[in-house]
Amino acid sequence: MSEAANGAERELDLGWMDRTGPWETRAEPGKYGLTIADISIGDYGDAPEVSDNLTGRARGAAARPASYRIGAYAVRSKNEIWLDNASFLYEEALQRQWSSATDVPWHTIEPLPDDVEQAECQLATFLTEVEFVAGDVPARWVSLTTPDFYEPRQVLLAQVMDESRHMDVFRKRALANGGGLMQATGATSGFVGSIDLSRDFTEMSSRLHVSGEGAVLTLFRMGELMAQNEAEKVIYRLCAQDEARHVAFGVMHLRYMSETAPERREEIHCYLDEAEGGLIGAANPVGQLTPTSESMAIILGGGKENFDDGMNKIIAIRRRQLQEYRKRVISAGFGERFENGRSRVAQMIEEAA
Amino acid sequence: MANKPAAKPSSPNQPAQKPVPPKSTASDEKRTFEPKYNWMNKTRQWGVRVKPGKAGLRLGDLNVGIYGETPTQWADQSRNPRGAVPRRGMPPVGYSIRDKAGLWADCAADLYEEAIQRRWAPATDVPWDTIEPLPDDVEHAVCQVCTELVGYANVDIETITGWQHQMSYGYHEVKQFLATASFDAARHYECFRKRALANGGGLGLEGPGMVNRMILESRGGWTEAVVYLLIMRGTFAMTLYKYLGRHAHNDAERFIYGHALADKARHVTYALDHLKYAMAHADDVLQVVRTLIAIGEGGLTRDLRDPVLAEALAVVFGRGVAKAAGRGMAVYGDMMRDYVATYLGYCQWLGVPRDPARLPPPLNEYANPTGAEA
Repeated sequence: MSEAANGAERELDLGWMDRTGPWETRAEPGKYGLTIADISIGDYGDAPEVSDNLTGRARGAAARPASYRIGAYAVRSKNEIWLDNASFLYEEALQRQWSSATDVPWHTIEPLPDDVEQAECQLATFLTEVEFVAGDVPARWVSLTTPDFYEPRQVLLAQVMDESRHMDVFRKRALANGGGLMQATGATSGFVGSIDLSRDFTEMSSRLHVSGEGAVLTLFRMGELMAQNEAEKVIYRLCAQDEARHVAFGVMHLRYMSETAPERREEIHCYLDEAEGGLIGAANPVGQLTPTSESMAIILGGGKENFDDGMNKIIAIRRRQLQEYRKRVISAGFGERFENGRSRVAQMIEEAA
Repeated sequence: MANKPAAKPSSPNQPAQKPVPPKSTASDEKRTFEPKYNWMNKTRQWGVRVKPGKAGLRLGDLNVGIYGETPTQWADQSRNPRGAVPRRGMPPVGYSIRDKAGLWADCAADLYEEAIQRRWAPATDVPWDTIEPLPDDVEHAVCQVCTELVGYANVDIETITGWQHQMSYGYHEVKQFLATASFDAARHYECFRKRALANGGGLGLEGPGMVNRMILESRGGWTEAVVYLLIMRGTFAMTLYKYLGRHAHNDAERFIYGHALADKARHVTYALDHLKYAMAHADDVLQVVRTLIAIGEGGLTRDLRDPVLAEALAVVFGRGVAKAAGRGMAVYGDMMRDYVATYLGYCQWLGVPRDPARLPPPLNEYANPTGAEA
């Protein structure tokens, strides 16, 4: 029997006390508490350009040569996933968590005319469906990323949580007012070139964060126009806050990639070519897919009788989506595509009008 | 880097800036359209009006009528929300977990809402200003323990996220609960790292990693991963948090361990509920779990024979090296007896009782509640 088990004293080795990462580190909390930016000090703040960490140890911890290799990490180069403001986005995500059960004033929902309720439920069905993909895919990439890049991983984990809440809040909306779920669109199924099938993190991020969620963000920001009651206004407002972080992740990552791996710029342009093709497609609720665009038109017009008014608003929103997309891509450092004729966005804006 | 978060979240009820409506051009206003409305009236159940209760409108409240039907197999390979009218002919997404027995737990929806209500932010909720300098040996030990706990959180993150996307949406409650579990793990990851770097110390030596590998290599199914990640490791982590909370040096540590314990308790609750369900509804799962446990105990004991974590804990419990071998190791022994008793209790409850005498050493040495030699 061991000494610990039988209560007898045993001699301690304590050799581990000499095997540490950099010592005498004293991170201080600032105005916003002790953030992960505050602990990125000294060697602990240095994420390697290429990670050789295959045991999953915390960045900066002392390595144990005999430790088992556990990580067959696919993402081991910093420029594949890094962004400069991950700490900010993660801490903000923690501060802005909300509860769809208790923070939405569900009691403000009043019965709506049947056509409007059907439209609300169709849109909610669609949003439930697209939020699924935005939760699934980042989770998969987290599992493939070395913990040496833990800051972006933390943001992606917050995103998975956010998307989970979005899924549930739109399901709740569909079932809260005398309606029900309607027909799924299938817009996020396993199409070639879809977010699911991306083989590279940046490829995925350009589709999911920059184009996909960017389009949804524009829509959520129109929540005051779409909402029929205070509950819906709160839902769109809170979802927009979350979505803005996700879009910021994608833009900032693209910017980092652009600056640190210029040899990949042409490849990224190809991803953006594809993403632009989908901007008015099935995965965009104000795109050209009948069930969602028609339901949006009813919502924005205030009923079937004002369908044309609603559709004209949709076109205006679609134009705004494209303009905001262009701003984001410029901010990410890929603006030349709008000047050298490569991008079709200007033409799409014209066509939308 | 200007990595500072916003000072305070805006209240969910605070009015947002009213958006400026997009401009419609003159040409827009003239356009007319011919809607098809072929999506209208396509629903499997209409007229549903779920009302919020005392605790708000919870995920589980939505399980009414067909929307609450969770079939034993979910054949749909698309992202069709449960209860929606499916669209035929959609290319499959390719989920590997489509049997209810492979993931289900009745408590998942409640645990999801509970996790959201009990959320906390390490940056601002932990009273970091209560941390005072500790004797060097104690600080070394705390930092070593935190390094191990960061490693545990890392495995939680990598394992759960590796499975989440493989689970079909017929059982969205579980996927949603697991989103909270991986987010909890993210919080634990940063929190223990913060503690290690906040008081004049640093990170210590990485763990031996046998159990980490065992958990991550549980590729047979999510249920297998649950046995290792949440029952074996989860119960061990929970016991560590409990004892570390009792021996905390300041309010910051007490807060951290207390909240990590509450989070971990939810994960273990899910695990017990899921395993009970799986054993009751799928052939052979009980036998598989019995075998997994026997194999897993071997891996666990290999990690436990490594002295680093035990010694670091003994220094924490003994309040220094001087009393680590005596008082510290005695508390460590108590902790291990507590862990083994809890673990054996869970095995018993699950219907896979373990004979304490047949546990591999050193686990068997802690199976005797009195601590006396058998």
